[in-house]
Amino acid sequence: MEDMMKDRVEQLVDYIMKNCLWQFHSRAWDREKQNEGILTKTMQILCEEPVEKETPTDKCYWVDAVCLADAFKSRYAWMATLDKGEIKLLMQGLKDRIDYLTIKGSLNAELTDPHY
Amino acid sequence: MPYHKFKCSECIPEREKHAVIKGPGEDITSALPLGYLNTIPGSISERGCAYCGAKHVIGTPMKDVIHMSHGPVGCTYDTWQTKRYISDNDNFQLKYTYATDMKEKHIIFGAEKLLKQNIIEAFKAFPKIKRMTLYQTCASALIGDDINAIASEVMEEMPDVDIFVCNSPGFGGPSQSGGHHKINIAWINQKVGNVEPKITSDYVINYVGEYNIQGDQEVMVDYFKRMGIQVLSTFTGNGSYDDLRSMHRAHLNVLECARSAEYICNELKVRYGTPRLDIDGFGFEALSNSLRKVGLFFGIEDRAQAIIDEETARWKPEMDWYKERLQGKKVCLWPGGSKLWHWAHAIREDMGVNVVSVYTKFGHQGDMEKGIARCEEGALAIDDPNELEALEAMEMLKPDIIFTGKRPGEVAKKIRVPYLNAHAYHNGPYKGYEGWVRFARDIYNAIYSPIHQLSFVDISKDEIPTDTSFLTQKMISDVNLSEEVTASKELREYTGNYDTITALRNKTYPDFPAEKRLSAV
Repeated sequence: MEDMMKDRVEQLVDYIMKNCLWQFHSRAWDREKQNEGILTKTMQILCEEPVEKETPTDKCYWVDAVCLADAFKSRYAWMATLDKGEIKLLMQGLKDRIDYLTIKGSLNAELTDPHY
Repeated sequence: MPYHKFKCSECIPEREKHAVIKGPGEDITSALPLGYLNTIPGSISERGCAYCGAKHVIGTPMKDVIHMSHGPVGCTYDTWQTKRYISDNDNFQLKYTYATDMKEKHIIFGAEKLLKQNIIEAFKAFPKIKRMTLYQTCASALIGDDINAIASEVMEEMPDVDIFVCNSPGFGGPSQSGGHHKINIAWINQKVGNVEPKITSDYVINYVGEYNIQGDQEVMVDYFKRMGIQVLSTFTGNGSYDDLRSMHRAHLNVLECARSAEYICNELKVRYGTPRLDIDGFGFEALSNSLRKVGLFFGIEDRAQAIIDEETARWKPEMDWYKERLQGKKVCLWPGGSKLWHWAHAIREDMGVNVVSVYTKFGHQGDMEKGIARCEEGALAIDDPNELEALEAMEMLKPDIIFTGKRPGEVAKKIRVPYLNAHAYHNGPYKGYEGWVRFARDIYNAIYSPIHQLSFVDISKDEIPTDTSFLTQKMISDVNLSEEVTASKELREYTGNYDTITALRNKTYPDFPAEKRLSAV
């Protein structure tokens, strides 16, 4: 079960790494906001929950989240077999992994530079 | 993903951490090349300087401006003419280059008088042009010439002109990238907010990080106009000086080339609250996603979808003709700039071409993260390679083609690797759906050129074959394809025109009613 979850998270990670750009903003604080904003909204869309999109920044997160959710649903047939609880678990696993790859485990020395 | 040690650089051990190979199951947390550091003494570099990054990459694509370098005339040459950032005002910015022509005596006695005289002379020589960018160079920065003061003096004496001062001398950073940063910040500090634009749509964007190589910008702006979006400014390809002073009035910054232009987007976000959306302009799926995202932001995704459907139906059969023939070919993707990541995955998806190596001459580690993340296993990633490393990499990887700039491209040809110009293109534009097919056509033409086959004959020792007739490209490319593919009535070669840009300039667009503005009246 754990292996299947890990494999599914890796499939989603592979899609994000190959097709998205939002996860690679140039500073750690920026990446934290991007990952949190977009992946939370993607989870909400997949769970058919309401999504905040009133501010321009939220709207940008939502736009990326809509495209991501659509890509996940069309590429990974197993996504349709999951219930809300399972989707939330999967998306938390995905967020943890993306945070690790782009922030916590990143070797990019510029991430903590206080200046642009 | 261990670091890769080049044999030719064994005598420069510091180079070891500037190259990695993406191993099985490895990711960007296993190893990442160093980047955006001073070039290691003893190692030759192909980089440009901070002045080059400010003037030639960011500044000069601005079209209605006299671009004056305060320094020796040689500074103006660097990369001039190798970037075909065209414009719709008769390529004014490409036709002329200006320098104050500093000499030894000016270094000794100062060159401020010379600068003022040159600025006035240039404005008088081109009376219709009222805007100027003044670039500092190493020579004038080192002697302390106050170019800001001279610009102010001239603007006082000539009230109809406006001058932007860019203090980014060559030594101002480790590479071009330092200059990108300086000119972005200088522009927002000095000029943004100085002009109030006429708003003609409910949907207004700045298109940032686009340099109009062979018309790329005009292709993308066509899509935006078809969606009823007003493109307030393009930073900076085919962009106008005064439009770029009004960037603060856009509702959204659409950012394409991140590292050269993200600074201005981030500052616009902090100072004016304008949000930033990152897009890809290359590749069928990536471009479709980009248009859809911009459409979604404004609530006009149906207009985006109509363009995606129309363009895909028109151009996909042509792309697939090339994909069948390019499947499995290997490329060294050494373009510099954002194409490192924009092309890495899209050429594999749309054309079946495998990326075996990526490089960047002046990129940051973040640029490399994007490039490596989009490559498959086995790809070699190199930061700031010298010529010998480049040759060694190509001998090891044996690519079928290399996408790179003019100088490394010519080196590649010497070892019989066909090259496509990834900076200024061969027969672009490459952006847009049609542009992507043109790119595939250029790749096909390069790989299957019969002349390229002949280049493998060493006339100093090989017998010249006389029993084979001349082979056409198709005879070479189609030999292993199934009849189903070669006889397909659906797939076809590129059928577009040689010039795709002129028609766009004369095009008319649908008039979308401006709902919000009308209801507010």
